[in-house]
Amino acid sequence: MDFDLEELVNVEETFYNEGYKDGFAHGRIHGLIEGRALGREKGFEMWEELGFYEGFAATWKAIYDKRGIEDDRAINHIKHLQDLIAQFPKANPSASEPSELDIPKLFRQIRSRHKALCATLGVRVTYGMEPAAPPSASDDDPPVSLEPGKSGGKKKVWTLDNPSPSAGEKMSF
Amino acid sequence: MDTSESPWEDDSPWGDNPKSIQDSEWSKISSDFQNAGYREGITAGKESHLQQGFDEGFAQTGAPLGREIGLLRGAASAILSLLTSKNPLPGLTSDSNRDALVQEARYINSELSEIRFSDVVPPDLEAIAHAREHLEAANEDDRSMDIELGEEVESKRKMESLEDAMAKMGAGSITAEVKKGRPKPDDVVRLRGRLTQLSEKLGVPLGLL
Repeated sequence: MDFDLEELVNVEETFYNEGYKDGFAHGRIHGLIEGRALGREKGFEMWEELGFYEGFAATWKAIYDKRGIEDDRAINHIKHLQDLIAQFPKANPSASEPSELDIPKLFRQIRSRHKALCATLGVRVTYGMEPAAPPSASDDDPPVSLEPGKSGGKKKVWTLDNPSPSAGEKMSF
Repeated sequence: MDTSESPWEDDSPWGDNPKSIQDSEWSKISSDFQNAGYREGITAGKESHLQQGFDEGFAQTGAPLGREIGLLRGAASAILSLLTSKNPLPGLTSDSNRDALVQEARYINSELSEIRFSDVVPPDLEAIAHAREHLEAANEDDRSMDIELGEEVESKRKMESLEDAMAKMGAGSITAEVKKGRPKPDDVVRLRGRLTQLSEKLGVPLGLL
């Protein structure tokens, strides 16, 4: 049999390309699904914590409004905290434009501002801890000192540009 | 039973044709190359879309859902800390009234703290639909791949049920909570309602919620 080698190579390439195209379309679906699962979880984790600080601050602001107090150290902390949280992205900033935002630094600032607010209010830092403070501790006179060792340090901040460095290794096609 | 087609397949007129051997050889080569392309393609397709999926999941589901729960927890925590502080709002003078409010605030805080991502995350419909396709295809297609959809959530759920089991063993004081099962999205609505009521009693509007 005679082979035109050139043609055979072309035929191989055609088959390969056909398969590649189908595979790519299938892989795309898997990439989106797996990425989405990771993004949902990470977005939840980050914004659950930020939302806590935000809701805590907003509620104490409403309490101060109710008391008719406008100028206070606590109010100052609340304003700073709300400013910082407003800077935090609700979408992954790497998606649109390269960002100068230092996410871990912003997170640190938000956490320490929340702690400062709690100290000023004379309230224990409860994020990431047992929700119901024992009455003995919460009935103390303000300001109650903080427990710096226990404040949410276990949470690791994730870098937005690199959601899943290990995703490539876990694939099982 | 439908028998109209099977006899034709059984004694196919091409069954003894030697050309079919060539054909099968040829189709083996073609499918080898197609499969090689498929494998490369699936990896490239996946890797090039992980980020897009991540961004979608983060912005469309994870962040808003997490913020919703976080806001409730933060507000509930603030209300509880107000009620248990030395100088709550004027008007809250009756001790028995205050005790009831503290109890309600504790209940809401503790219920909210039970809620986890896996309890409230909506199902990924595309992932479910695709997993179904895999199951159907698995019967007829050798190319079928491992289904790893929602694996992250699933493994997390397993881990958390382990945590639940450990909590049951460790703490006898929370046995009342144990028999209810996991919280559901409805519980978020219910707890938001109770928190709103409580804060209205105190005259503190929860604007964000």
